[in-house]
Amino acid sequence: MTIRPELPREFVAEHKRRRMIDAIADLTAEQGYEATKIADIVRQAAVARKTLYDNFDGKEDLFLSALDTAQAEMRAAVEEGCEPGSSLEDRIAAGLGALLEFIAAHPAPSRMLMVEAISATPSSARLYEASVGRFVDLLRVGAPTGTDLPETIEESLVGGVGWILQQLIRRGEAGSAPQLLPELVQFVLSPYASVAERGGAGRRK
Amino acid sequence: MQRLPRGRHGLSPEYVARNQRERLLSGLTQALYEEGYESTTVALIGQRAAVSKSDFYKHFDSKDECFLAAYEAAIESIRERMETACASATSERWADRVAAAIEALLNLLTLEPALASMALVEGIRAGRHVYGRYQAALDSFVRDLREGAPASPAGGEVPEAMGEAVVGGVAAMLGRRILAGETDQLPQLFPEILEFVLTAYLGAEEARRIVSAG
Repeated sequence: MTIRPELPREFVAEHKRRRMIDAIADLTAEQGYEATKIADIVRQAAVARKTLYDNFDGKEDLFLSALDTAQAEMRAAVEEGCEPGSSLEDRIAAGLGALLEFIAAHPAPSRMLMVEAISATPSSARLYEASVGRFVDLLRVGAPTGTDLPETIEESLVGGVGWILQQLIRRGEAGSAPQLLPELVQFVLSPYASVAERGGAGRRK
Repeated sequence: MQRLPRGRHGLSPEYVARNQRERLLSGLTQALYEEGYESTTVALIGQRAAVSKSDFYKHFDSKDECFLAAYEAAIESIRERMETACASATSERWADRVAAAIEALLNLLTLEPALASMALVEGIRAGRHVYGRYQAALDSFVRDLREGAPASPAGGEVPEAMGEAVVGGVAAMLGRRILAGETDQLPQLFPEILEFVLTAYLGAEEARRIVSAG
């Protein structure tokens, strides 16, 4: 790939960084983290080996950066999806819908984040858990306030949605994720269903 | 796991082999819990199990093979405990049987933290070869849960994916709590886990009513 000389240096550098991040996502999704070699990454990203080491400490550092990018983009998509102000049902359906669309549109980063990260390295497993934690917080913020729902409910809901999606991704069917929307909405809404009638009594500890 | 007496003991070779194998499985589970996967070497497993390195290789080709066997043993003992509790529940009612199984699960995990960590944390971290077993275990819990479950509050059967999401969700949540070092507090989560599981099948109101009634 040739870069025209008039492009600013920062733009070129950022573009190369992005290509390396995309390359490791594609490669780990295809063949797993273990089997992915630096040589494969630089070839796929069309960058010099030195460029990779100028930007990252090595394969794991690049992998962790790619995971961080993927989780930030996935979360941004979900946050954008659920606009504040609408009803709980609408927000949950919109947020889940945005998540499923993201997975269908970006199967490789999704697989890297939701499947490979768990077993690749101890640091990537921690990053995965932290990213699950952020989705738990996101759901908790969006959930009805002042209700006496159990403390662990959002962890179980996020875990359940994650489990369904992990199985789908492992089967190589990320593209059909949006079809799961009705069942997942029903699942996530079920504990909140009668909250309005119960009224607020403070979340149980 | 008791170490067998040295020298002449009149125990059959099959008995000795089975005992050794069981000691190796619990040796690996314990070492993994205390030292992590990388540090859990064949030598360390042998040391915990009081089995020589050469005897280790009579049972397993590698640490990974021993890990798989230990993982299956962990899942099996959880299933056994839950099935027993379910069968001896005080009533035939589906919700009571589910409650008995969940209570037994939480008690077992707290009583055996190394087994808890193996089953719900280390298994999925170990990679693709163990994933299939984790999935099979969760699927079998989904089937058990479905058995005798009433029709959904809206009428008709509760969708299959609901059961998978419920079981996968509880397993993931327990894994997070175990990772956070809260294994000893899991039994306190009994009412909320029960309510969560029942909600998917009975609706939030009915689940709340049953859990409040104790």
